[in-house]
Amino acid sequence: MSAATAGDTPGGAAGRSAGTPRAGEAGEAGGAAEARTAKEAAREGAGSDRSPEGGRTGGRARPGVAVLRLHRTALLVWGGYVLAAVAVLVWTVTVTADAALREQARCVGEPVCGIAATLAYGDRIGMVATAVCYGFLVVAAFAGGALFGRELENGTAHLVWTQSVSPARWLAAELAVAALPLLLGSAVLVLSFRWAWSAHRELLGTDWTFADVFVARGPATAAYCLCALAVGALAAVVLRRALPALGVSVASVLALNLVLDGFRPSLWPHVTRTARTPFEVSGSAWQIENGAVVGGRRTAELGPHLCDGTAAEVRRCMAEGDITGYYAAYHPPSHFWPLHLAETGIVLAVAALATGAAFLLLRHRTA
Amino acid sequence: MIPSSLVPRGPGRSVLRLHRAALWTWLSLVAATSAALLWAYGPGHESALADALRQCPDGIALCDRTSGPWIGRYDTVSALGTIGVAHLSFLVAGWAGAALVGRELENGTAHLAWTQSVSPARWLAAELAVPALFVSAGTTVLVLLHRLMRDGGRDLAWASWYEYDVFRADGPVAVAYALCGLALGALAGLVVGRALPALGVALAAQLAVVVLGNEYRPKLWPVVSVTGTGSVDVPSGAAHLHQGVITAGGARRATSVPCDFADGPNGANGVRCGAEDGASGVWATYHPESHFRPLQLVETGAVLAVAALAVAAAFLLLRRRTAAASPPAAAGRAPGSVPADGSATGASV
Repeated sequence: MSAATAGDTPGGAAGRSAGTPRAGEAGEAGGAAEARTAKEAAREGAGSDRSPEGGRTGGRARPGVAVLRLHRTALLVWGGYVLAAVAVLVWTVTVTADAALREQARCVGEPVCGIAATLAYGDRIGMVATAVCYGFLVVAAFAGGALFGRELENGTAHLVWTQSVSPARWLAAELAVAALPLLLGSAVLVLSFRWAWSAHRELLGTDWTFADVFVARGPATAAYCLCALAVGALAAVVLRRALPALGVSVASVLALNLVLDGFRPSLWPHVTRTARTPFEVSGSAWQIENGAVVGGRRTAELGPHLCDGTAAEVRRCMAEGDITGYYAAYHPPSHFWPLHLAETGIVLAVAALATGAAFLLLRHRTA
Repeated sequence: MIPSSLVPRGPGRSVLRLHRAALWTWLSLVAATSAALLWAYGPGHESALADALRQCPDGIALCDRTSGPWIGRYDTVSALGTIGVAHLSFLVAGWAGAALVGRELENGTAHLAWTQSVSPARWLAAELAVPALFVSAGTTVLVLLHRLMRDGGRDLAWASWYEYDVFRADGPVAVAYALCGLALGALAGLVVGRALPALGVALAAQLAVVVLGNEYRPKLWPVVSVTGTGSVDVPSGAAHLHQGVITAGGARRATSVPCDFADGPNGANGVRCGAEDGASGVWATYHPESHFRPLQLVETGAVLAVAALAVAAAFLLLRRRTAAASPPAAAGRAPGSVPADGSATGASV
């Protein structure tokens, strides 16, 4: 079946007879897409062969509708993913927390105690955190590959540009229609995750400083998704082929994430505390560095328990080592929002730059 | 460019030509990862060791808290190297599903080849054999360099041999997983027939195989079991699996008996588990480090078996498809493979 199909449409323009849309044939296979009208392309892309009025949009072209119809599967997958993540969170927090809490109550004062339910609870929340944080990688793959890359590669985009939709309007419609569900879905994911993560902190081994928890608890999740969308668009406009654009956009946003992950504690000034005696910073703080002050210089290589023993011994030891005190550099939990918003701003700036570059390049190419 | 005498003829040649961008990407990826692993083996390790020795002049084994700029860089590069080698198979699977088979079927390159005196079976054989050669060679090089890095860096202890990524990057299973990714990707491409969906299916299938491998790895070789009256010791470097108490009747019950995990580097003192009150004894199971090799070999065999099944399924599927709907030209070329029911062939032309 498929062998014969490819055989009778050797070139894109060969089948340019309006009356032969291969209804029932699954979608965009073959180069025939260029020869179809926008509405036919949209209908076929959505995998349906419904009657013509289903695709009627009047005389005016509405690129947003075509985007939605071409990428209906993607929209359903995204919606299903958001629902599944929320379902896992709700089920974990409302149904399985009781068993874990009972287990913890039973274990108080016990030297030997199984904590299987607590571990399972933390695993499930952690799994969702990872999915929410790194969902942008899938968005980058979709944007670079399916949304922009394939439309540019097989000519659906060029076809649309001949149907009273300018290239700039096409790109704007694709970006806007994709951004809306991404923003909505991210908002739902972030709000659900914030609720689930803080519901029973005593059951969780994760801290607010963990990379995935950090991103999943605020608007950086949405910013990374939008950035992935924009980078995907830019990669596709540059490369004009689906699979290379997919690879490049995933690699680019992953690199951005890794770099920001490395610089995360530097995005907001940290707190430095010094004292004459060793001290412990609160366990909820994000410790960056600690050590001893030797001859007025902070030395991270010397631990806080350099001098032990009686008060006199400690004094002598400190004097011998020229240790005048101890210091710790850290972010208190109250730094979460400034740190998080700084990162969100950087990611959004990259997204804006990528969007601008994509528009400029597209105008340059199609002018 | 590759000298022409080395380029194979026939369908293998067209695989190389069609996917030369992928070939160069693969070669640069292998080169970059090799460079990172070699840096970590040589100069990186040297600088990190100097950092550590400055803090612990009496020997780093006595030091439990070392940090420094070079130690940080060494840790990052070696960890990224391990992650990279352990996850190469996903890249292979995604590429095989999307670019190698999915796109060739989607845009008709495959069908074109089938009309050029290359039978579908020979086309698929070339599609699998040529990439398999490069994938095996590249992965083998990376595994050897990864082993070099790990053996050279034992003093700056980091991940243990039984950790998921380390285990998958440190022996022949890496090659097996990469080949399995190739086979699963090709099968996904054939089943789905479209590049981007095939990419997703191939990645999901490969993820399932890797997760199952991680899950069932400890069961692939008999564990060592120790019992004691008051306590048991698990030797240093062993993968500690389970422990529990022996009841008065002599039955083993799995419980979380209290265990002390050694703080020192390399788990110098191993693990010591003591009995609960009232128990007549305590038991524990583990894989000593000497089980690394048998575990690797058994898992390599199992993963290669999955790959072989996927390859067989791909050939069967392709034969059934092309036999049911091949045009008369193809039917005349391979008469033995065409069913007697001639009404189905050529009907669509």
